[in-house]
Amino acid sequence: MQITKQKINIKYLVVFMLLLNCCLVYGLEPPTKVVAKDAPNDAGGNIDIFWQLSVSDPTLEGYHILRRSEPEPEPVAVGFIGRGRNSFTDEGTTDGVKYSYQVIAVQESEEAASEWSNLVSSKPQWFHTGRINVIVFTFIFTFLIVFYINRAKRGANLFVRKIAGLLAVDEAIGRATEMGKPILYVPGLTGISDVATIAAMNILGEVAKKVATCDSQLIVPNTDPIVFTVAQEVVKEAYTQAGRPDAYKSDSVYFVTDSQFAYAAAVDGIMTRERPATNFFMGYFYAEALILAETGASTGAVQIAGTDSVMQLPFFIVACDYTLMGEELYAASAYLSREPLLLGGLIGQDWGKVVIVAVLILTSVIGLLTNLQVLKLF
Amino acid sequence: MKNSWEKLAKLDRRVIYFLLLLVVVVPIIFPFRLKPKAMPPVEKLFNHIDTIPDDKCLVISVDYTPDTEPELHPMAIALLRHAFAQRKKVGVLCISLLGLGLAQDALATVSEEFNSRAQTNADSIISGRDFVFWGWQTPPLVPILGMGENIAKVFPLDYYGNRTDTLPIMQKIKNYNDVAILVSIAGSAVPFWYITYAQTSFGVKIGAGSTAVQAADFYPYLNSGQVTGMMSGMKGGAEYEQLVEERLGVYGRRRATDAMSSQTAAHIWIMITIIIGNIGYFVMRRRKK
Amino acid sequence: MKIRLPLILVLVTGIVGALPFIIPHGIAQSFDNEFRNSILRIIAAFSLVLGVGSIVRHHTYKIKWKRENWQYSWILLISLVITSIIGLFGGIEGTGALPTSVRGFSFDIQTIFVYMAIPLGATMFAMLSFFMASAAYRAFRARNFEATLLLIAAFIMMLGSVPLSSYIFPRLPGFAEWILTVPNTAAKRGMGFGIALGSLATSLKIILGIERGWLGGTK
Repeated sequence: MQITKQKINIKYLVVFMLLLNCCLVYGLEPPTKVVAKDAPNDAGGNIDIFWQLSVSDPTLEGYHILRRSEPEPEPVAVGFIGRGRNSFTDEGTTDGVKYSYQVIAVQESEEAASEWSNLVSSKPQWFHTGRINVIVFTFIFTFLIVFYINRAKRGANLFVRKIAGLLAVDEAIGRATEMGKPILYVPGLTGISDVATIAAMNILGEVAKKVATCDSQLIVPNTDPIVFTVAQEVVKEAYTQAGRPDAYKSDSVYFVTDSQFAYAAAVDGIMTRERPATNFFMGYFYAEALILAETGASTGAVQIAGTDSVMQLPFFIVACDYTLMGEELYAASAYLSREPLLLGGLIGQDWGKVVIVAVLILTSVIGLLTNLQVLKLF
Repeated sequence: MKNSWEKLAKLDRRVIYFLLLLVVVVPIIFPFRLKPKAMPPVEKLFNHIDTIPDDKCLVISVDYTPDTEPELHPMAIALLRHAFAQRKKVGVLCISLLGLGLAQDALATVSEEFNSRAQTNADSIISGRDFVFWGWQTPPLVPILGMGENIAKVFPLDYYGNRTDTLPIMQKIKNYNDVAILVSIAGSAVPFWYITYAQTSFGVKIGAGSTAVQAADFYPYLNSGQVTGMMSGMKGGAEYEQLVEERLGVYGRRRATDAMSSQTAAHIWIMITIIIGNIGYFVMRRRKK
Repeated sequence: MKIRLPLILVLVTGIVGALPFIIPHGIAQSFDNEFRNSILRIIAAFSLVLGVGSIVRHHTYKIKWKRENWQYSWILLISLVITSIIGLFGGIEGTGALPTSVRGFSFDIQTIFVYMAIPLGATMFAMLSFFMASAAYRAFRARNFEATLLLIAAFIMMLGSVPLSSYIFPRLPGFAEWILTVPNTAAKRGMGFGIALGSLATSLKIILGIERGWLGGTK
């Protein structure tokens, strides 16, 4: 073993000496085969330059990259790159203008210039070829969703498993009505562009309808001003749909603050003062999740939480009576409304997941098999 | 006797809170220092920053807010100490408005530490030359994506009101291409936004500093290489402080390391309460049988 | 029209927002940048006005109708007005037109931030440890095999995340790190797939106008 290592070391030493010899005897060697290409998948203005490393590369400081064009025939330096690198992107080109490049190997005071490259111009692309996989999957997924929605429209019987947290919604609202206490709905801490918040709004609509029917009181404190305006509209519309527009109080949905823990303090205050009988925590939460849920638990409220924040799930599971985990939050609106169109979408979504899992298993198996030594025999 | 086992199984929460308060406060009054050993994610982050080439810079995104200040502020201070000690160029920005005051405090604290020891102008840490504080910009996607194109365009003025494109440091920091690593310190999801948008679109290396409670969220990204290195919680901050002191010989107040004694005592107390609860629970269960 | 207009808007902005992902051309990218930089910022600014309006109205009503604890609403409203005046006219560190220092006692925004906002926020966050202690005490009971496994993992993590463990069991921090890196990551990735697909499906349903709950469930 020792001998083999020594052999390898000697081999490296010989190669190094030869290289050094080349440099000393023949001087500095320039890089060769300089090729310029328009940079792919960009908005234009970039040209990639590739070259074969100079034979003297190990002893170099690096490479200067020069550029010339038809309007500017005098070479201009566009960049410097360290040794061992064989590509460079010129990010300052004008689309449509043809450029040629020269790469100069630099070693202390000595320089060796390559030949000028081919002429090339940069141009923007209309399609990102590197993202075809995403498009293909999006189409498959959309197809599955639309297919199952159509099936649902035609009246197919679609099975959706029971979700305990959602089955308890009616009971929790009924309990609050019986006790004459309000229902608190916290729609998470993220903005309206977050899917979890949109899901929270969808559930809020269904909860508000039930609250309006039961003639109970709803409190919705918000941490995002845009979410607040949406929540206000959702609750108002739900009360109208439930046939109780008169029961809607604009004061029940309000903005508190966008500061995370100031908001947690405000909601804790509501829980300890107003003593809601039921607390809903739906949406995306951060570290305040346990502060909210544990305070709610200490007031004896029935608590239903739902979040796609995986990190906060354990806290909700510990402190709440029911917890919707991950995508159950997205499914809640379909589940509560029982609208066939939404249920169809849910089934399509599950089949999409089956496709992903199948692709994952297949590619993993291929990956594993191709790494097996035994396959190399064939 | 039955009553006392029941009491053990159902300890009043006020008792738990009071004793927890005691175990946290006592080590603050009578401190003991435990030397932390750096874990691989912290060491990776340290090594990456340690080897930043001269033509690139470190960007620190102060994305935490006052509430997580005790846990995350020491990380920002340790990173700045590391960068300033080795004369790495630093850019600082905030995604959260409330981070502005904290970033300013960290920069003022660490530059003061270095400037009080400086002999010449070249030794000093000067705004605009050694670091730039870009300030705050909203909504978050504007700076996160915009910095990939042109940082000076996203932040035309720095926090102190100077035109950023005229600052000497900004002559070499144009966009993400000039950033060796961007470390986002946050108790929220901001580092994920950097991973999703800045790294996916521009390939910039991302480091993270997170609260202990959120740290587990980052491990999938750490495994996949999308996060280069990270500090998690007070312990992560303490480990980085240890590396800065041990390897660079830069001394200063080590807030995270000092707080580790309280954290250790609190963890032990929580474990004791769990054990007490389980003893009570098992005795009660056996009796019921 | 009240329903149709938002649905058309969502469809158009949804498609326009997704296209720059596959079109690298400058026209698509600059439109996308403009959309995010200018339009979103304007919307955010207006919504903040609505938010402040909402909180002022909520507490004014509370005072007007003398609801329970209405006195505290005065504190909120007065603090809001004073802080806004100091922030708008006093400058960040007392450099504005409004004097923010009396005989060395300064009350500029930076001071308010450092000496009020930071400690108050930190106090709320610190309460988390108390709640964690009580929740852990209540929940971590070795009721069955899974619960016992959870309990053991919790102990390893709690010990592993303090320096003391490396003095007692030198390999424990590494093992805690392994739990986070391997089993935790595997579970998270599984959940992550479900969440990513769920959010993709929800986005599609919203863009296509199938999911209308955010409009109040209007059919």
